[in-house]
Amino acid sequence: MTTNTLLLLLVLVGALTYLYRYAMIGLFASRSLPGWLHALCRHIAPASFAALTASGLFVAGGEVVFALDTPRPWAALVAVLVAWRTRNVLATIGAGMAALYLFKLLF
Amino acid sequence: MRDKPRLAEFLAGCRDESPLLLGVAPFGMIYGIAALAAGVPAWLAQLASAIVFAGAAQLVIVQMLAAGAGFVPIALTSGLLNLRHVLYSASMAEYVRHLPRRWRLLLAYVLTDEAYAVAVLRYQRRETATADLRHWYFLGAGFTLWAGWQLSTAAGLLFGATIPPEWELDFAVPLTFIALLTLLLRERAGQAAALVAGLGALAFAALPYKLGLVAAILLGLAAGAWTVRRLERAR
Repeated sequence: MTTNTLLLLLVLVGALTYLYRYAMIGLFASRSLPGWLHALCRHIAPASFAALTASGLFVAGGEVVFALDTPRPWAALVAVLVAWRTRNVLATIGAGMAALYLFKLLF
Repeated sequence: MRDKPRLAEFLAGCRDESPLLLGVAPFGMIYGIAALAAGVPAWLAQLASAIVFAGAAQLVIVQMLAAGAGFVPIALTSGLLNLRHVLYSASMAEYVRHLPRRWRLLLAYVLTDEAYAVAVLRYQRRETATADLRHWYFLGAGFTLWAGWQLSTAAGLLFGATIPPEWELDFAVPLTFIALLTLLLRERAGQAAALVAGLGALAFAALPYKLGLVAAILLGLAAGAWTVRRLERAR
């Protein structure tokens, strides 16, 4: 992607995000949020993060690759366990990076 | 004289928002580092923090850029992810509806998860002054978060330019997604949405420009909605 295209993309996403933020306090200030939109919003974040995580770990060049002989999937597994046990974002990132460096030495 | 209570509200907003910067700053830095690793020019990465000003979406954009995604999939994914800001907008509406339009236009720009969290507490407390000046508090909280986000982005860009790629600090982005995902998976419908979206991302991996991600997320949303309906029927 060229720099100009990326700038256009960022302006587009920024404008859209601003519209979302202004929507209910400006554009539709006298209306309440429809129930379906409320329900939809709750599932967007889990669906997005799950798709991006799965794709980031196991998709390379348009193909599904379970590269279990490389450190990243195992470091991610450590991160999942730490996230599940501690429910702490920074501890998860720290443990995942530490596991990555450790597994890089071992593999 | 007239401006003193306003300044006091603004500064109180700044003060109450500042502890949250400790939690926000690492993400600003991770974003800056990952943006450089994805080949985004530093000036544009910094500008993005001002025009998008939404951490999760900015991380998604750089992660997808690094994976070679195209314009449309990135726009759709980040546009969808940011939709939750409509919820914050709706929650703040009752408190700011009476303000002049220029105030609402300004407050909309600083309406983020973290500013919302602080400002809504102030709005739920009883006001002390005779005139309602709580929008100055909201502005102070929003401004503080904005400044912290810009500075931590700059710090990430400076730091990211000096560290070698062998450190693989870009891996902090998927780790962030794993951490946030784990926090979000409290209810059945959300779990179904995440599971289906995750499997979908693998099933549609071959689609060009990473459009498979968009398809996977939409399928996940459908699974979430279907689970909600099924649970309601079972009750």
